[in-house]
Amino acid sequence: MSAPVSAVPIRMRLSPREAERWLARRRWSRAGLVYLLMLVFSLAFLGPLLFATISSLKPDPLAYPPTLTPPQLSPRNWAAAASLGRQGAGAPFWGGFAPGSRVSFELTYFVPAGIEPETPTVVVPRRRPGAGLGAVQRIDYAADYSEVTAVEEVGREPGTLTVDGEVREGQVVTYRAEVTYVDPDGPRLQRLPLDATAASRDYVFLRGSLPPTRIERRGLVASYDNITPGALGYVFNNYRRVMDEARSVTTGRSLFLSWTANSFFVAIAKVLSTLLFASMAGYALARLRFPGRGLVFVLILFAQMIPTQVIFISNYLVLRDGIFGLSRLWGQATLLNSLWGVILSGLVGAGAVFIMKQFFESIPREVEEAAMIDGATQWQRYSRVVLPMARPALGALTIITFQGAWNDFFWPLVVLTTPEDIKTLPIGLLSFRNAYGGAGDWGLILAGAVLSALPIIVLFIVFQRYFMEGVSYGIGKD
Amino acid sequence: MRIRRQETFAALLFLAPFLITLGIFFVFATVRAVYFSFTNYDLFNAPEWVGLRNYQNLFLDELFVTALRNSLIYAAVVTLVQTVGALIMAAILNQRIVGMTFFRTAFYMPSVTSSVVITLIFLWLYQRRGALNYLASQFSTYLPQVLAFLGIVVVAQAVQVLWERSRNMPARAFDPALLVVSLLVAFGVTWALTATGVLMPRSVPDVDFVWLQTRQEVPAGAPVWLRAPVPLIAIMLQNIFTTIPTFMLMFLAALQDVPKSYYEAAALDGASPVQQFLYITIPSVRPVTFLVVTLGLIGTLQMFDQVAIFGNAVPLRSVITLAYFVYNRMFPGAQLPEVGFAAAAAMFLAALTLVIVMIQRLFLRAEGNR
Repeated sequence: MSAPVSAVPIRMRLSPREAERWLARRRWSRAGLVYLLMLVFSLAFLGPLLFATISSLKPDPLAYPPTLTPPQLSPRNWAAAASLGRQGAGAPFWGGFAPGSRVSFELTYFVPAGIEPETPTVVVPRRRPGAGLGAVQRIDYAADYSEVTAVEEVGREPGTLTVDGEVREGQVVTYRAEVTYVDPDGPRLQRLPLDATAASRDYVFLRGSLPPTRIERRGLVASYDNITPGALGYVFNNYRRVMDEARSVTTGRSLFLSWTANSFFVAIAKVLSTLLFASMAGYALARLRFPGRGLVFVLILFAQMIPTQVIFISNYLVLRDGIFGLSRLWGQATLLNSLWGVILSGLVGAGAVFIMKQFFESIPREVEEAAMIDGATQWQRYSRVVLPMARPALGALTIITFQGAWNDFFWPLVVLTTPEDIKTLPIGLLSFRNAYGGAGDWGLILAGAVLSALPIIVLFIVFQRYFMEGVSYGIGKD
Repeated sequence: MRIRRQETFAALLFLAPFLITLGIFFVFATVRAVYFSFTNYDLFNAPEWVGLRNYQNLFLDELFVTALRNSLIYAAVVTLVQTVGALIMAAILNQRIVGMTFFRTAFYMPSVTSSVVITLIFLWLYQRRGALNYLASQFSTYLPQVLAFLGIVVVAQAVQVLWERSRNMPARAFDPALLVVSLLVAFGVTWALTATGVLMPRSVPDVDFVWLQTRQEVPAGAPVWLRAPVPLIAIMLQNIFTTIPTFMLMFLAALQDVPKSYYEAAALDGASPVQQFLYITIPSVRPVTFLVVTLGLIGTLQMFDQVAIFGNAVPLRSVITLAYFVYNRMFPGAQLPEVGFAAAAAMFLAALTLVIVMIQRLFLRAEGNR
């Protein structure tokens, strides 16, 4: 950078008004640039999350090239999906295919000049809803209960198609296919897949009532996973799969829902135990004098420094033996693969005790003295006088603990291995990744990831103030 | 005397839940890990004392040495880049502005979400047909536009600065007022050149960089201890991305307490922005730097989640860290667990963390007292 022209002599040559205007202009521009940069950084840091959220709506988030405007975000497609859902099962939101219904679906092709248009072949294929866990389940196929009752031409007009800059003459022809649910006693199906095969490669598929899930065989086949999705079923198909497709082998309950319930259970239990025990311990350390106080401080520092990898070996064995056999008292031989194992080993952390101790030390002792004169017991002084004043610290502690428990990965990974239902969300997501990642089915993985992040994001936005306080306590500790 | 004893009793009651948890899950656990590290325990047979053999064997285990190399290089690169990057970003953004709450929310978001969510998203971005390679392809396609834009910014800025200085205006090289104009001009001209077809996007093949399934290490010719496998670099980028905003906000909070008058005085004395950064900004945020480096070192040396989640998408040797090595020996799948060996590796990790943090402490403190 070039050395600046020394500011003083030049500024003296400017009139005060000129100088002021110059500086004002500089200030405004600087503020503008800072805002621009802030915006760019925010977008960059939110980018992957937002992009993953948008892509989680697509049937295949790896479709190349990636796009920020998938068809799932177009209101016209929402309307079409709702109308098809209504035709299929009278369900404009979540769609379906019910006995007695008849669905008509339009497909539009470009036919080059000189070829007499022929109707495409339309079939309802037997197709699995997904890869991974979903592929093992027994499902009812729409192909067994329905028939393509008619495929007819409904419109024809001259048109052109531009391919690689070359304009081709021809016709735009629209066909209507009609699928009827023929078996009156059949079950209500969630999906109605459809494959439309053009008469030859000369045909170019332009559009359908909905955009196709994928185009196969080099443009010959327009393939739909579901032509009666309903508006929400169309947009949030991957999310529905997250909930529906992965089910427990033994109970048949949705794994994702179990994981969510487990995560909430562990996080809430940990928050409650931490709030109670950390404030008790913090109060004792801040206010009471007793032999061994120094030793407890040393232990707190020590506990915060020791890596998880050192203590998990013994902790694993302790839980395996049910905390020295104690768990037999309530009928559990081992605490491995039990949510109580995760909770009991993390009842209260040293960091939380430290935060509460710092906070109680900032409360003047005089507050308690009146209560002491009135003859209040130690417990009353703590629970009636000091604890109500600790609300900001408890708020911060709640948020930090909840976030830590919700996002915790290593310890649940060690403790919770089988069956699948016992897992918490983070390790559940890992088994999604192992089950679907190999098959390249990223729609479901991304949807699961976004769903699992939702509670913590909502919590963060609502209680942002407490998050920041937590950070400032963190800084204060050094 | 009675009161004193009552107080002790009350304190014990208040502390009991905490002390029991601490005693079983930290103190006892550490003592037992130390003991295991001197035995050949395997979960099924009674442990036998083997002395220091586990520690000796650590360095004969090729995977352990690889894990050590990976952990060290990972910690060094990530801590350095995220600290320097966060500080520079904070210095640029150091201005009190309205609407900071919104930006703060955005900046915190990556570190609020769990490592699993972030890692899964990055794993998806790193796929061969993923968004990252697509962005690289786009960049390569529109390289002429990017270069033209930057070139025009430089020229426009130079012209303006010279012109203003010839009018005796105190124009700095990067004067924001002039920079705004330069950016607008460059944007307009580049757009016009592209629209009129003077500047054409290049037709280049799509970038097909393999981030995950590769044994490639960079820089290729460097000694083993200075090379990083490509998948590990992918994790580095991800971690830098998630932590930089948080650290940046810490620096920003510290910077906003530095009196503006320092900078004004320095400017009057003719100090350039770079000099102001070096002699005002860096010294005044030293305590935060210390905290950020400590947190960064501890976090990176014990990196585990990303390795576990990348899993079979990458070769294990390319991403294994010490923390994962310990886990891997404790739960080796079909083989017999090597608890003693895992414990020795864990003790090594603890000692390494402690030593590195201590060295860093000495280093930064010593500089502070200069």
